[in-house]
Amino acid sequence: MTPGRAAVAEGWPVFITALVVGITFGLTARQSGLGVLETSAASIIVFAGAAQFVMVDLLRTGAPAPLIVLTVLLLNARHVLMAAAIRPFLATAPLVQRLGLAYVLTDEAFAMGIGHFRRGHRDLTYYSVFGALLWCFWNAGTLLGAIFGADVEDPQRYGIDFAITAVFIAIVVIGVRHRTDAIVAIAAVLVAAVLRLAGASAVAVVVAGALAPLVAFALREDRR
Amino acid sequence: MTFWAVLLASGIGTYLTRSLPLAVTLRRTAPAGLRRYLDALPIAIIAALAGAGIAVPDGQPTGGAEVLAALVTLAVAAWRRNLLLAVIAGVAAVAALRAAGL
Repeated sequence: MTPGRAAVAEGWPVFITALVVGITFGLTARQSGLGVLETSAASIIVFAGAAQFVMVDLLRTGAPAPLIVLTVLLLNARHVLMAAAIRPFLATAPLVQRLGLAYVLTDEAFAMGIGHFRRGHRDLTYYSVFGALLWCFWNAGTLLGAIFGADVEDPQRYGIDFAITAVFIAIVVIGVRHRTDAIVAIAAVLVAAVLRLAGASAVAVVVAGALAPLVAFALREDRR
Repeated sequence: MTFWAVLLASGIGTYLTRSLPLAVTLRRTAPAGLRRYLDALPIAIIAALAGAGIAVPDGQPTGGAEVLAALVTLAVAAWRRNLLLAVIAGVAAVAALRAAGL
C-alpha cells in the first residue's frame, strides 16, 4: 500500500470523528452568537479543536480578550513539544515545506505521523495526506454545523450545550496515560468547578489549568 | 472587532507553537522541570474546562444532571476509548436527565 492510501485506510475513523466534532463546533459557535463567516474563519485560522471550543466559550461568557488569547496559547503550548518530537523526521524537507506541515500539526496528526515514522517509514506523504484530509473534514464539518446550527431551537432540551463539556471529558479520559495524569486532571476539575461556583467566570479555567500541573511535581518528587 | 482581534492573535500564536520548533534549531533542550510542566498542561487545561462546564452550565449552578451525565461520559470514554461514542452518550444522558426534571 502506498503511504497516501495507508493514511486514508488508517485515518478514516479519525476523519469521521473530526467531521462530527466539527459539526458540533459549528453548531455551538452559531448558538453562541457567531456568524457563519466568523465560525469558519475560526476553524481555518486557528485549526485546533479544543482551543476553538474554549475561545467560543470564553467569548460567550464575556471574558477579556487578552485572557482568551492567553488560555488558547496555554492550551496549544503542547504543540511546541510535538513539533520538537516530530522534527527529526521532517528535517530533510525544505523550510517552506516544513512551515506548511507545521500548519496541519494537530494532536491527531502528531499521533498518526509519529506512529508511521516509528514503523520505519521515512516518507512525508503519510503525514501530509493525513494532515490535509483532517483539515478538510474539520472545516467541512464546521461549515455544515455553522449553516444549519442556527436553526436548532432550544438546544438545551437536546443537551447540545453539553457537547463541549462531553468532548473535554472524553479527551481527558482517553488522553490520560498514567496515574499522575489522572490526579492532575481530577485536581483541575475540582479547582475549576469550585472557582466557577464561587463566581469566577473566565479566570477559573486559566487558574485551575495553570495550577493543576504543579501537582505532578509534588507527586514525582515524592517518589524519588 | 474584538472577535477578529482574538481570532488573529490566537491563530498566529497557535501557528507559532507549531512552526517554531520546525523552523529554528534549539541549541539546548528545555529544562526537565519545564518539560514536565508542559507535559501535564494540556490535560490540566482541558480538565479545568470540563470542571467549569459541569459545575456551571450556561450561567446557572448545576442541578445534578450535568454531574451524572459527566460520569456517563467518563464511563463510556474509559470503556470504549472512543471520543464520538462518549460524547453521544453524554449528550443523550444530559437530555434524558433534564427531561426527568434534574
